[in-house]
Amino acid sequence: MRLRKGQKPAKRMAHVWDSSRCIACGACVMACTATNSPEMMFREEKGWGSVASNIRRIDSVTRQGRPQMMLVQCQHCENAPCVSNCPFGAVYYDNDGLVRLDPRMCAGCSYCVTSCPYNVRWFHPDSGLPKKCMGDGCLELVKHGLKPACVQACPAMARDYGDLNDPDSSVSETLRRKRSRRLLEHTGTEPKYFIVEGS
Amino acid sequence: MTPVDLHFQADIAHWSWTIAWFLWFVGIAGMGSVAYYFVRSKPLSFVIFGSLVLGLLFVVSHLSRWWNLPVVVWTMVVNGHFNFGSWMLIGVLLLSVHLVLAAVIVIGNLPGLLARLGWLRWTARLGNNLPFLALFGFVGFFCTIYSGFLISQAVGIPLWNTALIPVLWVVSGSLAVVAILEMFYVFNVVDHRVSYFSSRIGLGLDATKLLAVLAFLHVSLAVGAPAGARLGATEMVSGDLAMMTWVGVIGIGILVPLAVGVYMALVRDSKPLLFISSIAALTGVLLLRAVILLAGVWEPLAL
Repeated sequence: MRLRKGQKPAKRMAHVWDSSRCIACGACVMACTATNSPEMMFREEKGWGSVASNIRRIDSVTRQGRPQMMLVQCQHCENAPCVSNCPFGAVYYDNDGLVRLDPRMCAGCSYCVTSCPYNVRWFHPDSGLPKKCMGDGCLELVKHGLKPACVQACPAMARDYGDLNDPDSSVSETLRRKRSRRLLEHTGTEPKYFIVEGS
Repeated sequence: MTPVDLHFQADIAHWSWTIAWFLWFVGIAGMGSVAYYFVRSKPLSFVIFGSLVLGLLFVVSHLSRWWNLPVVVWTMVVNGHFNFGSWMLIGVLLLSVHLVLAAVIVIGNLPGLLARLGWLRWTARLGNNLPFLALFGFVGFFCTIYSGFLISQAVGIPLWNTALIPVLWVVSGSLAVVAILEMFYVFNVVDHRVSYFSSRIGLGLDATKLLAVLAFLHVSLAVGAPAGARLGATEMVSGDLAMMTWVGVIGIGILVPLAVGVYMALVRDSKPLLFISSIAALTGVLLLRAVILLAGVWEPLAL
């Protein structure tokens, strides 16, 4: 259900990535593509130079020479610039607090792509749609009471998805117990993607 | 050190030359409408209308789902769902109004058509009506302003998040119109007074544009600016886009017209030089838009 302006969502669904548990196997990235855009399994996202997935993997090296890896995806921001900037109202909040795209209302102007500070949208070469988390496959899984594909595929239990409004949800519990951070908080987007950094 | 997570928006969002041409045409049409209040020249009205049409064609051709646009507009109107918080929607509405006003001015400038279609004579009357021309100028001015805020509101690209961009667009759009008027003088479309007046204004605008471009680079490179802004500005100053910035935008686009303007003010009038200066100014205005678009990168999330 599309929320009207000023309306609060019933739930505040959030993604959690525990970087201290992650083994960088990439199973979540591949599970995401296989579930949401299987036709892209062997096609590259040219802009990123990697597999077309709603999860972007950034491999780098620290100043001390230690390899590090980060997974980034749609943060389902509570103050999302892609929602406020979309000229046609194609990008919207739903009742679960997720940022969604209505393909019928999208003309492919890519304003949502340049409006996102996290660079997590990619253009589907066939439909011209700016794709991102959550894809249709994962939304279908969630509708049936299952976890998204990335959470199910993770062998290290490093990923989770749940309601921040529910104090008993697994994500609320993890965020209470462990130290976490959000990306680019200074931009005021109020992201709901949490990176757990340790206990 | 170049971060690993460095992505140019032109590779992903594809806001590059097509959008640069769009912004160039909107700047010409917008500031041309302001000039039309003072210089009511028939060829200028054609330039304004033609620029608007071409600009709109460029921007529509950029849409990855352009075929869906009629459905989107229809659904928006039927549902009454307009996102007035988006500069792009404001721009769509402004450009639509501007196109209609420009069409009225153009039709009013076609006596042959008016003789055949008498019911359109009201356009000629409106075309000489000062409040209508003022409205035309204001809408044009706001279209140029919009084209700047369109870029600066794209919060994913820190280089663009500055109010200097609308200012740059207005100044450079005005310079483009000055160049067109000088071109008109070269081809004897307008008289010497228009050229004299516009070249004197052009001198001031050139100096202002130079200051604004340097201020834009300085602000983006300053300590404390977001890393994405600094990386983008570094591309413009000393990276792959440096040639376009220093030779194209500043050399050809500002210094050549400035030098010709000073020469003509102090020494003598020269139509060939004026022609070269006009082409250089118009090229510089396009390159300014292109280089700022092409230099846009996201804030790196990792080193």
